[in-house]
Amino acid sequence: MKVFKYFISKIFLRKAVLGISMILLLCMANYITFTSSRSILSTYQGYQETKYINQEGNYIANLDPDSHMDMGLINENGTQAVYSYLNSYYNYAFYVDGFIVSVPNVDDMEVHLSYMNEEYYKLKQFELLQGVDLGFDYQLDDEIPVLVGKGLSKTYPVGSTIRIEESAIGLPITLKVKGVLKQNAYHSNYYALNSKTYYNFSIFFPVNKDFINHANIDLQLNGLMDITILQTSEEGVADLSEVLKDNLGLDFNFFSQKENYDYFNEYYLHSLKIMAIITFVLLAVITCISVWNALVSVRLMLKDFTINLLVGLSYSKLRKIFYIYFGILSFINLAVVFIFTAFNRYGCWIRKDATFVTYGLFGLIGMDWLALLVVVLLNIIIGIMIVETMLRKIKRIPISLGVLQ
Amino acid sequence: MTKIIDLSIKEKTYKSKNSQLSILNNFNLEVAAGEKIAIVGESGVGKSSLLNIIGLIDRNYVGAYTLFGSITNSLHTSELAQWRNQKIGFVLQESALINSLTIEDNIKLPLLYAGSGKKEFKAEDFESVVDAIGIKPILKKKPLECSGGEKARAVFARGVIMKPQIILADEPTASLDVENKERIVTLLFKMNKKFSTTIITVTHDLEIANRHDRVIHLERSK
Repeated sequence: MKVFKYFISKIFLRKAVLGISMILLLCMANYITFTSSRSILSTYQGYQETKYINQEGNYIANLDPDSHMDMGLINENGTQAVYSYLNSYYNYAFYVDGFIVSVPNVDDMEVHLSYMNEEYYKLKQFELLQGVDLGFDYQLDDEIPVLVGKGLSKTYPVGSTIRIEESAIGLPITLKVKGVLKQNAYHSNYYALNSKTYYNFSIFFPVNKDFINHANIDLQLNGLMDITILQTSEEGVADLSEVLKDNLGLDFNFFSQKENYDYFNEYYLHSLKIMAIITFVLLAVITCISVWNALVSVRLMLKDFTINLLVGLSYSKLRKIFYIYFGILSFINLAVVFIFTAFNRYGCWIRKDATFVTYGLFGLIGMDWLALLVVVLLNIIIGIMIVETMLRKIKRIPISLGVLQ
Repeated sequence: MTKIIDLSIKEKTYKSKNSQLSILNNFNLEVAAGEKIAIVGESGVGKSSLLNIIGLIDRNYVGAYTLFGSITNSLHTSELAQWRNQKIGFVLQESALINSLTIEDNIKLPLLYAGSGKKEFKAEDFESVVDAIGIKPILKKKPLECSGGEKARAVFARGVIMKPQIILADEPTASLDVENKERIVTLLFKMNKKFSTTIITVTHDLEIANRHDRVIHLERSK
C-alpha cells in the first residue's frame, strides 16, 4: 500500500496531464460502450417482445404513409362498420395507450390508460407481482377489473377501487384493481424497438366488444392503427383493407410475420450492425490512443521506473501497481457512467415522466446493469492491453545503469 | 576470505536489427567479501554491462553466476529485487535521482521496498548516514536545486542506506570536481573499512582505480 501510495502521488500524478487524458479516453470508451450496449440490449428486448405478436398467420396493421387522412371524412359509423366486420370475421389483438386520466396518487404522477383486448393480453403474457389476471367479462356499469403498475399500487393496492371519468366512452366508471404488474413492465414501439413505454404508472383497461362499440372515434381509430389480425391469410387481410378503405378512406398495410422480420433485418439488424462496427472502430481507436498515451508515460517516467527497479521494485510488484492504478481509473469512469445513468433515471421521477419512470437497484434497471457489466469487461480488456504493453515496453529497455546516464 | 561472487560469462550479446555485438567473452570473476575492485577499459567494452550482471539487473547472458552461494539464475525476479534492495547498493552518477522527490525521499527510496520484518531500519541509521555524508542541509531540497557534488553524495547515501554487502559504483565521480571526487571515494572506502563492504567500481579514472585492491582491465572482444 505504501509503495502504491508512493507511485500514485509521486509518479503517476506527477504527469497529471497523462493521467487526466487516460481518464478522459477511458470515459469515452466507457460511455460509447455503455450506450451502444444498452441500445442493443433494448432493441433485443423489443425484438423478443414482438415475437409474441409477430407469429405466423398474424398480420400487423400500419397506416400507409402515402394515405391521406382527412378526419372530416371519418365518422363513427365508418369505424363501427369496420369493427363490426372485424368482430364477425376475424380474431384480432387490440391495443391503445397514451390516454391520460386523472387519478390522484402518492407520487403525483400522470396516469396512462392502456386499453387492450383479451387476445392482446394473452399474446403479451404479462407477469404479475400480485393479484389475478385481467378479466374481460364485465358490463360497463359494473366495476371494471383492471391491473395497475407497481408505482400506482402504492396508492391503489389489489382490491381497491378507482373512480374515473373515462374519456373513451365519456362516462364515469369504477375500476377495481385485480392485480399489480411486475415492476418495469414495458411495451416497445414496433417501429422503434429500442424505445419503450414503462407501465409503472399505467392502468391496464380490459377492452371487450361491448366497450369498443361504446367507445368514441378516437379510441376506435387509434386501435386500428396497430391492430394485429390473428391467424388469417393474405386474402383475409386484403378483404379487410378494402373494408377499411371503403369505410374510412384510408389505405392500410398489413405486414405478415416474414415481412416484419424482413423489415427488422433491413432496418434494425443493419443499423445494429453499423452501430456495433462504429462502436468497435471507435473503441479500437480509443484503445490505441490509450496504449500510446501509456507508452508516452513510460518514456517520460523511464528514469523513475529504472531507479525504483534498481533499489528493490520487482516487475511483479510493478505489474500489480499498474493493475491497481488502472483498476482505480476504470472504477472512477464506471462510477461516472453509473452516476450519469442513475441521475437520468432519477430525472424521470423528478420530471414526473410516468412513461419512463422505473424501479431498480440504485435506480438502475436490469439492462443498465448488463450494459455496465459490458463496460467492466471492456475495462478489463483495455486494462490488460495497456498494462501488459507498458510492462513489455519497460522490459524491452532492460533496467540498466546506462538508462540513467 | 569468503568468496561472495563467482561469475563466469561465456558470452553477452546485444542484438539490433542489423548487427550483433558480443562482449565479455569468456570472462570470469571471483570476488571475496570486503574486496575493493576497480573495472577499467575503454567505452563499449562492457563495464556497465558487467555491473548490470553483477547487480542482478541483467540475466540475458550465457554463463553462470553464483552470489552469496546461490545460483542467481534460479532466483525468482521478486527475490532478485529483494537482493537488490537489501544486499546490493548502487552508487551511480549524480543524475540518478528522481527530480520530483526531495533529496530525503530519494535517499529513503530503498526503505519503501524493504518490507516489514526483513531488514530492520532505525531512524538513527538514516541520521548517521546523512551526518556522515554531510547532506543534512539539503534534505528538503529537490535535486534540481542542488549542486553536482550534493547530488552525487545523495546518490551515494541512497546506495548505502540499506548497509549493503556489495556496493556497485558506476562512474560515481565522472562529472565531479576534484574535491567532490575525493569526498565520494573516501566515503566508499570508509564503508569498506567500517562494514567490510565489497566495492566494485567502474571508472575511467586510473588514479581512483589504482586505489582499489584489484584493477580489472576489460578489453574489446576479438
